[in-house]
Amino acid sequence: MASRDVVSYDTPLSRALKVLAGLFLALYLVWTLLPFFVMFVSSFKDLLEAFKLPAVGDWAGITVFFEFTPTFKHYTSLFTENSFGTYILNSLIAAGGSAVISVIFGSLAAYSLSRVDFRGKQDLFFWIISTRMAPVVAVMVPLYAIFRSLDLVGTLPGLILAYTTFNLPFAIWILKGFFDNVPFAIEEAQMVDGSTRFQAFRSILPLVAPGIGAFVVLCILFAWNDFLFAAIIGSGGAKTLPVATRELVQPQNIQWGSIMAAGVVTTAPMMLLGLVIRKYLVTGLTMGAVKE
Amino acid sequence: MTDVSPISANPREVAAQIFRARAHSAEVEARPQSEITNKPRSFNPPMPKRYYYYLMAPAIAILAFISLYPFFWLIVMSLQDVDIGGGEWVGFKNYVKLFSDGRFLDGWWLLAQYSVMCLGLQVGLGVLLAVVVNSSKYEKYLVTALLMPMMMAPAVAGLLWLFLYNGTFGWYHWILQSAGILDNASILASANTAMYAIVLVDVWQWTPLITIIALAGLKRVPRDQLEANMVDGASPLRNFFAITMPNLYPVLLIAVLLRFMDNFRFIDSVLVLTGGGPGSATKILPVYLFEVAFKFFKLGRGAAIALTLLIVTIILGKLLVRVFEKPQNEKG
Repeated sequence: MASRDVVSYDTPLSRALKVLAGLFLALYLVWTLLPFFVMFVSSFKDLLEAFKLPAVGDWAGITVFFEFTPTFKHYTSLFTENSFGTYILNSLIAAGGSAVISVIFGSLAAYSLSRVDFRGKQDLFFWIISTRMAPVVAVMVPLYAIFRSLDLVGTLPGLILAYTTFNLPFAIWILKGFFDNVPFAIEEAQMVDGSTRFQAFRSILPLVAPGIGAFVVLCILFAWNDFLFAAIIGSGGAKTLPVATRELVQPQNIQWGSIMAAGVVTTAPMMLLGLVIRKYLVTGLTMGAVKE
Repeated sequence: MTDVSPISANPREVAAQIFRARAHSAEVEARPQSEITNKPRSFNPPMPKRYYYYLMAPAIAILAFISLYPFFWLIVMSLQDVDIGGGEWVGFKNYVKLFSDGRFLDGWWLLAQYSVMCLGLQVGLGVLLAVVVNSSKYEKYLVTALLMPMMMAPAVAGLLWLFLYNGTFGWYHWILQSAGILDNASILASANTAMYAIVLVDVWQWTPLITIIALAGLKRVPRDQLEANMVDGASPLRNFFAITMPNLYPVLLIAVLLRFMDNFRFIDSVLVLTGGGPGSATKILPVYLFEVAFKFFKLGRGAAIALTLLIVTIILGKLLVRVFEKPQNEKG
């Protein structure tokens, strides 16, 4: 950031740097946003139109991309030929269920962990965070064996429980940092004024409520976007959106139009939610290491 | 700022005052977080401790059931020959076998290659991007746009890139071909290039994470140091390497460790894009584990592999936690 206090002169070098920076930014934005654009536009194209490409090296031929008559048939086929309605519901229940469970129990645990000290607390923390960081495939091997013996494979409760393996430690970890920032003096003052402990706890809830809400959304996002757990633990009875989208890839017949439409259906809600909780997104995605 | 006395007419004194005030505010900013926030440590907790334990009990119980209990099972399973029917004890056979299993060792090697390539590109691009975005007027909008790939399910991202990479109708394939980088074969079809394909997808999706972390780090770079250096005649480039980068290292370390562990954690996009192929050119260890455990249902062998993977992640996690605690205390 150029400081306001020091006058900086435009030297040829800094001017060249500025141009380069602008160019880099433009290129990067194209590379980052183009896939979304292609997905969105292709979901409205007939397959033949979606497959049209200009000749190799014919850069002017890029306009081919825009030559199409929009159609909604891929979207309607998702709900008529496939039962994406059910899959959306499954995704919602599994992601929402685990998010709510995780945040309710997680916030209670986080609150008490933030307010009390005891021996072995650091170890407890390390266990919690490593549960969150463990590779999904590795966790799934024993979980699959256990869930199979409990008949939880292929059910929504099983999937909710599976998602809780990463959402609950996440919620505890993040919300603990959150409660740490609420001065204990507030509760203390309440108690001096004669309120009970529970009332004191309730008195700080409004302070943390927006954050807790945001982390419910973030937990939903993580669970909604999961593929591995859903593919193995949810296989059969609890098919979620990413798995259903993947299943549109069949050996002989890849239904690209439907895949693009399903991609839009899966991604758009999460992008909107991401915008809604934009303020907490960075904290959440970096496990609380970075606060914006 | 505490002691701002009426402004004196003497310009020297004014300068001295401003200097003092600045030094003071810098000192306040540099104070460790723990001094500012009221941590309960300094108080006696007013509730009896057990009340707090009741509050955390349910979460700990759930976590024990879905994390400790499976971990115990994982160890038991790794000593058994488990498949669909049931298990029988085989002692350490599963582990001994791993050492002669070329795919297992290759898996680690490929995972290392994959992680290093991803991280190298992400850190390079991410920091560069952060610096550029940081000096832009439209920072807020840019960051929002950059965050978007992270909102997409990795499996869906994999499918989308499968479409873009396709050898007959993929737009990225067309671009790479037109630029003379690729010939007719798709980037996914050749064992030499498939690894780059999955790296690119990871870079596409997760570079923004490094960018936002680096951005937060850039905000903490002390401005007076930059100014002082500029007054002394340093070029912006020199400023960047002498002052900005050293200040970025702590946050970048966090970023790198987070991404490192995620590369172990998520294989959704790799599974969708290549499934480990062609041949086993992209069969990084978690993908191999997936195949052993959930394609061939050799759960015992899978458990042994999973355990090695877990041990490495736990070591990385220990590192991460240590780094997590440091910069927060130092910089608040």
